[in-house]
This record gives sequence, structure tokens and C-alpha cells, in this order.
Amino acid sequence: MTNASTMEPVAERPAASASTGAGLGLWLTLPAQLLVLFIALFPILMQVYISLTDWSPLDGIPWWRAHELWIGLLNYTDLMADSRFWGALWRTMFVMAVCVPVQFLLGLGLAVLFVDDFHGKRVLYSTLLVPMMVVPAVAGYMFFMLFQSGGPVNDLLSLFTSDPVRIAWLSDPDLALIAVMVADIWQWTPLMFLILLAGMISVPQDQQMAAILLGASWWRRFFTIVLPRMKSIIIIALAIRVIEIFKIFDTLFIMTGGGPGVATETISVYIYKVTQQELIWSYVAAIALAILIVLSVVSVFAIKRMQRGQGT
Amino acid sequence: MSEIVLENLGKTFGDFTALADMNLTIANGEFMALLGPSGCGKSTTMNMIAGMLRPSTGAIRFNGRDIVDVPMAKRGVGFVFQNYAIFTHMSVRENLAYGPRAQGVAAAEITKRVQAFAELLQLETMLDRPAAGLSVNILQRLAIGRSAILEPAIFLLDEPLSNVDAAFRAVMRSELKSLQGQFGQTMVYVTHDQLEAMTMADRIAVMDHGKLLQVGTPLEIYNNPADAFVARFIGAPGMNILEGTLTRHADTVSAEVAGLGSVTLSPAMQGAAALQAAREVQIGFRPEQINAADQGLTMQVTFVERIGARTIVHMEQGASLAKAVLPADVPPPVAGDAWTFAVPDDAIRLFDPVTGRALGGRTH
Amino acid sequence: MASIRFDNVSKSYGDVVAVDQVSFEVPDNAFFCFFGPPLSGKSTILKLILGLETPDSGEIFFDGQPMHDVSPPDRNVAMVFQNLALFPHMTALENVRFPLVERKIDAATITARVAEVTEKLHMAHILHKPPAQLSGGERQRVAIARALVRDPVAYLMDDPISALDARLREETRVELRRMQQDMAKTLIYVTHDQEEAMSVSDQMLILDAGRVRQIGAPHDLYDAPNSTYVASMLGAPAMNMAGTAEAAGALTHAPDLDRGAKTVGIRPEHLRVAQKAGPGRVTAIEPLGATTILSVEAAGVTWKAALRGQPKHDIGAAVELSVDAGGLHCFDALGNTLPAA
Repeated sequence: MTNASTMEPVAERPAASASTGAGLGLWLTLPAQLLVLFIALFPILMQVYISLTDWSPLDGIPWWRAHELWIGLLNYTDLMADSRFWGALWRTMFVMAVCVPVQFLLGLGLAVLFVDDFHGKRVLYSTLLVPMMVVPAVAGYMFFMLFQSGGPVNDLLSLFTSDPVRIAWLSDPDLALIAVMVADIWQWTPLMFLILLAGMISVPQDQQMAAILLGASWWRRFFTIVLPRMKSIIIIALAIRVIEIFKIFDTLFIMTGGGPGVATETISVYIYKVTQQELIWSYVAAIALAILIVLSVVSVFAIKRMQRGQGT
Repeated sequence: MSEIVLENLGKTFGDFTALADMNLTIANGEFMALLGPSGCGKSTTMNMIAGMLRPSTGAIRFNGRDIVDVPMAKRGVGFVFQNYAIFTHMSVRENLAYGPRAQGVAAAEITKRVQAFAELLQLETMLDRPAAGLSVNILQRLAIGRSAILEPAIFLLDEPLSNVDAAFRAVMRSELKSLQGQFGQTMVYVTHDQLEAMTMADRIAVMDHGKLLQVGTPLEIYNNPADAFVARFIGAPGMNILEGTLTRHADTVSAEVAGLGSVTLSPAMQGAAALQAAREVQIGFRPEQINAADQGLTMQVTFVERIGARTIVHMEQGASLAKAVLPADVPPPVAGDAWTFAVPDDAIRLFDPVTGRALGGRTH
Repeated sequence: MASIRFDNVSKSYGDVVAVDQVSFEVPDNAFFCFFGPPLSGKSTILKLILGLETPDSGEIFFDGQPMHDVSPPDRNVAMVFQNLALFPHMTALENVRFPLVERKIDAATITARVAEVTEKLHMAHILHKPPAQLSGGERQRVAIARALVRDPVAYLMDDPISALDARLREETRVELRRMQQDMAKTLIYVTHDQEEAMSVSDQMLILDAGRVRQIGAPHDLYDAPNSTYVASMLGAPAMNMAGTAEAAGALTHAPDLDRGAKTVGIRPEHLRVAQKAGPGRVTAIEPLGATTILSVEAAGVTWKAALRGQPKHDIGAAVELSVDAGGLHCFDALGNTLPAA
């Protein structure tokens, strides 16, 4: 029979790979590739450039002459010492550390319920997806209203207490963040659910049947067949939410405006304030780059895990 | 070890009857093939035995006990899926150990059993390899081993060879047959390939359109098909079936095919009560029982296929089609010529043109 | 209509030699089959013919014209893919018309050409259906019709009927063969199934690791293989192979046995089994109806004998083995066939 050295590469190999045509193809597409690269990278390169200056739109010089205000790494050293930035970063991390696991567990639980058929599944399914389709700004107003001291949330709580509850959710620095997180969980659990459900449905039915016939209980099947086979999709779902929460802004800004004080000021809100209210654009560029680096590290980590997941 | 009895078993999906009134006893340790084209009800039957489907009517008994209400995990049934359903995110060892672990067998005992089965199935050297990317015969062995390690009384196999290359199927067939010999379980094997059924099964149950048409040993079914469908389905090529009429001249009954000629019936058939009156019949005979002759039936040769040890002659006359199989050392007729051939009287089978059932009793 | 010739063609991918100094000629209007195990070079040869790959060395000719600088569309070779690649949103008729419509041929010609092909393939009753409503065999026919309407110089088919079930394959292969004869076209065919290959082809080319092992009519390759490799590729059950000493020990009557041979091969249908005391012992019986496959152990080798009909044998019984005259194939130490003594 054949041995390894007689392998016949079939479809995987592009037709022109080994031939002289490969070089020509590269040259022909080079201009287009450079253009794409430029479009993708230009905003980032501009940020890098601006972040090394003290440029602001109020200075009256165009951005390409920003080097006249060259300050080197000063913006970055300022950033290192900026306690408001670090506060916002840690607050964002905290929201992420609470919301992502909660959304994941809720989404997974719902996916488990919805993977089997039951009466009324379609209606319930559509209902569950509604929050995801609500415009975040509208969601912000909804939760702003819900969490008023005379609002429905307090009314609901009052049913369980003797005195009427009048918690000032949005103006109490200790509680405002909770309200914001509830809103995020409400709006984004459906996305998690949708992705996880898709992953769960794609777990081969016969593998689960085989496990049942081998006597595996529901829990054993869930942990040895379903979850391992969903590994890639779980990582994708988590990565999407982690990145999105880094950018959390609209709902939150409408509910609390980042306040009271800086109690709900996340990275995005902080950047917005620095840009719109203080107009220190070069400093914003530095913050943006710092965030980009953090997010890149997270994504690379997620992709690596995913590739390892697919290898099995 | 277990005897399986299917009693008036039926399954309907809405208006569609997938299986009707199936009665079959599968003996302890028997290799039974459920054979038929797709949609004949063979997989439905198997899935009901496994417990994946609930019968609409009838009973399934294992050793006399009705198991319709027993959940599939508790039936003691090993199942080999069409694509083997190997857990590809695990190693070979984890696949083998999956069942015993799920059933709470002690760790030391699991190690011992996995070792024993790995040796039996010649998987020792690859125990720690990931199951993804193994070759198809190893996957088959692993799929069987993964079920066999729980020592099920019954093994169900759902077309396990349908995704295997033609060249490799013969190897897989003999491997499967020898594995069954080693384990000695009752085996139910679903297939649409008559060759698989003929080479491996102790008995074959031929099905079509949700009905069981015939049960018997491979040779019983080959020699005395109870039905024209079975006659055509078994054999490669299947039995020739020509439309004809019975005629009686003095003491002999013969079957005549319009435009082709006539064949004489065997003495046993001559006496059969059903064949006394002149009537329409279907005349069946196996392609390999045809011999060139000076008189008999004459047909136009349309195509000649020489395949190694044999030659298949394709013939046509009016609306009638027939094939002959000749050994390679017999010179075949030439395409385009008329060819006259004879069929020995004991090779003739008759079928009712309306019901398709065999007429005139058995010959062998 | 074209003859296709390979002259010393080689093709490598990195260190892997996929096609190694291959020469052959496909005669005009032949049904020509490439046969070999997976990865033996079949697919690469098809790509070289189509022009999807360029040979590293050697030259390919169509009707004597070198093809090196001819682009794939200009070679006018039609391909029927393994997965058929029918357009699911079009009816069978639209699928068949597609290649002509794409070439902006006038409507009257298209209609005439499509009618001619679909009539030859007996597919009038399925023309209005989309592929999803067709059986496997019917889809096959649509794919072939779509290749035929282009009137190419040759067709290539890569294992086109392997997805069908056994019974349908037997019917379809005959249909393919008759179709090719009706259309009088060169057809180049690849399959994994030796029975299918022998059934359809005028000529077969047996490949082994990118090299040509033997070319010839199927029955010539079957009756007179030039090597143990070719001998074992064709025939089911495969040819029995044994060392000369074992064969001498197992066979009671073997006048043609060449003592100089290293290996001896006997086709199962040339092995005779006599029910009398001898060195053999029956170990397995497979009754297939038309034939009975007997496994006999003798001189440490398991021999398979294909007996006509349904002879009675018992497992464990002692038997005597002999060979039909001319049934012995003798091979040297390299596996090449020795000339008949």
C-alpha cells in the first residue's frame, strides 16, 4: 500500500502554490492588499501619532502638524498616574467579572431548557430575544425609570416588606453600579443564550444517544459530551461579551451619566468625558491605545484557547 | 445473551405507517440481519429495540420480559451507530472507559477491563491516542469495544459499513463477523446491502414498505424467495422476473413468455394445486442458472459486462429485461445478437403478478 | 473527441511526489479508468488533464497538440464532480442548460442540444424538478447531462456514483457505459471500486504511489497481471498469495508450479476443492447463493476458494486443493510476474 511519502495532496492545496504563478499573483494583488491594510490601520496609526503630542482641536493647527506639539510619552506617564483612569478601568473589570459569568450561567441554563422541545417554546423563545433587539438608549431610559426611588423596582420590593421601600438606586454610589449591571444582564443574556443554544444544538445527537446507551446520567452527559464539544463556541461567546463590556456606554450613560460622582464611570464614559468636556484629545488617544492593547491581549488569549479546543 | 421477540410490532408517525404488524423471534446468540431498501422500516424496528422510539402497537420482549417501558439505558443493549459516534474529543482509553465509569464501576476494575478489551480488539498500542483521526476500521473496533465492555446481552448495528470504501468493506465484514464470534452476543444488523447480509448473518429478515416479507437463512432466502421483491433484492444481480402465462398441454404445465418462448416447470411444481388452471404469472430465475442452449427463451443481448471471474449479459426483448451471469471461461454472446438460453426446470420460481407472493410451494 | 497523451509527466508537492514519470495514451472515444488506492495519484492526474495543475516535467497532448500553455477553459474538458455540484435553486432542465446559457449560445441551438442530450439520457420526466426532489441516480444523470451539453472533447468523472447504494450502483454503471458508447466520447473515470472499474472501462491504468503499474483491458489485467500489486488490486475475494514452498505443500495437483518463483498467486475461482483426505481443512463457509466462498487452511496459509453454486461442505473437514490448468500466477522476489514456463 501507500506510505506517507506518497501522499497526494488533494483539494487543500491551492492550484498555483508551487508554480511560478504564485509570485505573479502576489504582485498583482499587492496594491489592493496595501490599500486594505492602510484603511484598517490608518485610524490606529493616527492615534499613535496624536497620543505622542499635546494636540487639541482648540489649538488651531491641523492634526497632521500635531508633531509641533510633540511631548513624547508624557501622555502615557500621566495615564499611569491618573487615578480616575485606573478607577474606571477597575470598575469596568468589576462589571465584566460579575456580568459575564452571570450572563453565561443564565444563558447556558436557558439553552439547556430550549434544546429540548416543549409546549409554547416558539413564543417563549421570541420573547426571550426581545431585550437584545431593544436599542440600548431605550433600554437605558427603561431602567432609569424602573430604578427611580418611586419606581416599579421599589414597588416590587415593597410587597415583601411592611414599610414601603424607597431606595435611591441611581443616586446611591454603592447601588448605582448594581442597577447598571442588572440592565446589562437583562439586555445581553439573550445573546449569550442564542450563541450557546446554537452550540448546544450542534452537538451531534448520536454522540448523546451513545452516551445514554452506555448508561450516562444527564449530568455526566452534560459535562463529558455537551460542554467539551461546545468549548469553541463558549470561548467565542465569552470573548464577545468581554469585549462588549469593555465598551459599555449608552445604557449606563443614560441611567447614571457615570455618576453619582464617578461611582459608575467606566472606561468608555471616562473617555467620553475627557473628549467632550475637557477636549484633551491627545490624552484620549493614549487611553484608547492602552485599552486596545488590553483587548488585543484578551482576544489573542481567547483565540489561542479556541484553537486548542478545536484540536480535540 | 438474550432472546428477542417482536410481537405485532408497529409504528406510525402521524399518517405514515413506518412499520406494521412485525413478528420476529431472534434467538439467543443469533446474528440477524434486517435487510431492505431505505424507508422499509428496518431502522425504525432497530430504534424501537434500542428504546429510542416507542412502539405504537405491539410488544418487544427480551427473554420473555416486555421491555417497552424500560428506558434505553437500562435495556442492556449495545448500539453501534452508522458513523460510530465515537467521542472524538476523548482518547481511545476514555472512550472505552466511558460506559463503566458512567455505571459507577470501581476504578481498578475499569483499568482491568479496558486493558482486557484493548488486547482483545488490538487497540493496546493506541489507548492514549486521541480518537479523532483514527482510521475507519479502528473506529469500528472501538465502537464495538466501547459497547462490548459493558457486556450487553444484545448488540444492535445500524449500517456500520455504509461509509466505508468498497475496497475495504470485505475486510471490515470479516472483522465484524469474527468479533461477533468472540463475544457471542445476539446481534441485530441493519443494512441495505444484500451482500453484507448474505455473508455475515445467520438469518436475514427482508423488509419493504414497513412489512416483513421473509425470514430465513441466507440460502433459504436466495433459493426460495417468498416474494418477487425478495427475489429481486437478493443476489447480485437479483433474480430475473418476466411476465408470462401458464399453459397446459396434456399432462405438462409450462410457463410462456410472450415473444420469448416457454419454460417447463419442475415435477414438484407440476403437481401444485395453485398452478393447474391457466393464469397470469411472474416467472423468476436466477441469472447464474442460465445456460446457452438451442431452444428455450430468446432475447436480444444489449450489453456485456466482464467483471473478473464472471460475465454479466444484459438482455432485452419487448418490455422484458433479463440478465445472465456466465463464468469467465464460457464465451459470452455478443451485444446486438439474439441469444437463446435455457433455464433448468428446478430453477424456475413463480410469483403471483398481483400480490407478488411465491406460487407452487418450495422446491428445495 | 480527443485522444489524451501523457509523456513522462511528473508532479510534486514539496517533497511529496504525487505523479512520477507517468506516460499513457487514452485513445479517442475510450472509456478509460484510473484505478488505485487513495493517494496513489488519481486526483492529481485529473487536475493535470483539466489544467488546474501544471506538470513539473513532461508534456500533456490532446490530439497531438501540447497543452502546456492552454488554459483550463480552452481545453474544453468537462468534469463531473464526486458531489455532483448541482445548483439546488434550479430545476434539472435549468441545470442542464446552464453551461450553454453561460456561453451565450443562441436559444434555438441550446434547446436542440438540450433535447438531444436529455433524450439520450431518458430524463424527460425529471426535467422540471429541482435536485432536492430527485433520487441519487437521477441527480447523477442531471450532472452528466450538464457535462454532456457542452460537447467537450472529453469528460472526467471522479468517483461519480460512490454515494449510491449497492443496487443502484450496479444499474448506474451499466447506464454510464451505454451512455458513453451512445455519445461516442472519450471518458476518463476514477473509482475506488474494482468491480465498477472492470465493468465500465475499455482500458484501465493501475496506479501505485504515483507510478503506472499496468495499462490494459480490464480482463487482460485480471487474467494476466504483471505484478502481485496489480493481481491483488482486482478480484473479490482477492487472489490467494503464498510462498512457493507453502503452495507446493498445499496443492495436490499443480503442474505449472515454477519452483523458481518466490510467490504464487491463485484466483479463488481457479482453486478446486475435493472432499477427500488432504492437507487442507475447511475453516469457514460463506454461501452467497450463486457462489460459495470456502476458506481452507493448508500449509499454514488460508486459501479462499470460490465455488460455483451451493456445494455442501463441513467446517473442520479435510479437503484436497488443486488448481485449474493455467490458474497459477508465478511472481519473482520483486513481485513481478514470471513468464509462463
